[in-house]
Amino acid sequence: MIRHTLLFTGYELRKQFSNPIWPLFGIMQPLLYLLMFAPLLRTMTPGGTTVDALRMFTPAAMMMIAVFGSLFSGFGLIAELRNGSLERYAVSPAWRPAIVLGRVARDMVVLVLQAVLVLVVAIVMGVRIGALDLVLVLLLMAATGLFASGLSQGLALTIRDENGMSQTINLFMLPLMLLGGLLVPIAFAPDWMRLLAPFNPLYHAVEAGRALFDGRLSEPAIPIAFAVFLVLAVLSTMWSMRSLRKIAG
Amino acid sequence: MIIQAHGLRKTFTTRSRKGVQTVEAVRGVGLDVEKGEIFGVLGPNGAGKTTTIRMLATLITPDAGTAVIAGHDLLKEPAAVRRHLGYVSQAGGVEDTASARAQIMMAARIHGVADPGRATAEALDRFGLTELADRPGRTLSGGQKRRVAIALGLVHGPPLLFLDEPTTGLDPQNRANLWDRIRQLRESGTSVLLSTHYLDEADALCDRLMIVDHGRVVAEGTPADLKREVSGDVITLRTDQPGRAAETVKALARETRVDDDLLRVYVDDGEHTLPGLLRALEEQGVSLTSIALDRSTLDDVFLAKTGRTLRDAGAAA
Repeated sequence: MIRHTLLFTGYELRKQFSNPIWPLFGIMQPLLYLLMFAPLLRTMTPGGTTVDALRMFTPAAMMMIAVFGSLFSGFGLIAELRNGSLERYAVSPAWRPAIVLGRVARDMVVLVLQAVLVLVVAIVMGVRIGALDLVLVLLLMAATGLFASGLSQGLALTIRDENGMSQTINLFMLPLMLLGGLLVPIAFAPDWMRLLAPFNPLYHAVEAGRALFDGRLSEPAIPIAFAVFLVLAVLSTMWSMRSLRKIAG
Repeated sequence: MIIQAHGLRKTFTTRSRKGVQTVEAVRGVGLDVEKGEIFGVLGPNGAGKTTTIRMLATLITPDAGTAVIAGHDLLKEPAAVRRHLGYVSQAGGVEDTASARAQIMMAARIHGVADPGRATAEALDRFGLTELADRPGRTLSGGQKRRVAIALGLVHGPPLLFLDEPTTGLDPQNRANLWDRIRQLRESGTSVLLSTHYLDEADALCDRLMIVDHGRVVAEGTPADLKREVSGDVITLRTDQPGRAAETVKALARETRVDDDLLRVYVDDGEHTLPGLLRALEEQGVSLTSIALDRSTLDDVFLAKTGRTLRDAGAAA
């Protein structure tokens, strides 16, 4: 079981990095957000310095990579469904969940690399964060990404069509992003949005991330976010493994 | 016996806006494949060939029926069945970004091959892929991809290989090349279950075959036996009066079949029947546009069993 999961993880990672241009582009996006969006936020931030803006925006940028980077990773599965390689693995003695788990694990590795890069840039730009807070932020981000990656593989196996899949993701992306306070903190929102926000799991992740960046470790948002995303990650990963079963007996 | 299957059935239900539709893809198919033989499943598109193979490959669960593959029960021990199988689907299963070498190596590792590096090199060499081994899958031509697909199915040296329409979409040269490689499998002792809608392919490759139509087996045997059953030769006449011509030659033929202005006359010995047949037609004043004498083909078998030619059946599907 573990051997097959590791085999698939390694195989997927080698595929991912066989052309390093694409992962590089993937890493550029969050950096560009930091460089180009954080300054825009400056006027809205209490304190009004770039560092204050970054402290507020960096956790949001990290969750954004975690969710939206991983949500698109299922596209690969649709191609493999079509070219028959998924079927080929399904007839092999491979432990079937490993086929999906390997991909989810690959997304985690890519995510951590991207996160480290974003953190390095944020730190260079003047943000300071404690070691424990840093580890917790990374863990939270991994849980968020795990959820999104599992969801994406499940969506791909259920929708089985690139066009339908991208429309579905786009439909959910904007409300999730705005209602999660990713771009603009939800504190600026009208009452009805503030009422809706707690139903958006991302909101909790971003709140917890901001608390960690501020060094407020006792904030209840942190355990809430971890609980929410661990449950969601387990559910979405299980769903994606079940969806695979639909493809092959 | 490497495959013994009986009474396999599969019905698909699809729900759409038009309501629930059921398609009986396979209605009671049985087959026995001997160790080391190439067994063909011949039939038009939509006959249930792929569904049958997918059931035997543990990809879909049959609604009814039993099968024992390489000594293991299909329904009770699917994992054991998978260990003894090589499966090459119609799509082929060649990935776009990874190289042929990486994909074959991965397949070898998943199957727990003792020395995956060596097995990969051998598979590449055997299918003439060494030169292309490090190119991404998407840059390969159709024929090259097919060879990679079969190498992927064979790298772990399975005793049984499933090939679902292996030459569909290939040009004649690549087809002939692939046929040679499939024949070589017989020499190495691998049993092959092959589906095809090409008559010449079934005729050229298979030791035995079954003809399927609408999810049922309509005939089974060696290509030679099947053709002998229909008759030795077929005389095809083109005429304005096919009905009258059929009446005239009836006494000389085993069977006649009219299809628009074509009359097919099935006879045991074409060379010796032809002069008498022409004389009889002339006496009756039937004028002919053309005449041809051929050995009967599997298409004639299909026609005799189903009342349609494979070509018509394929166009209708």
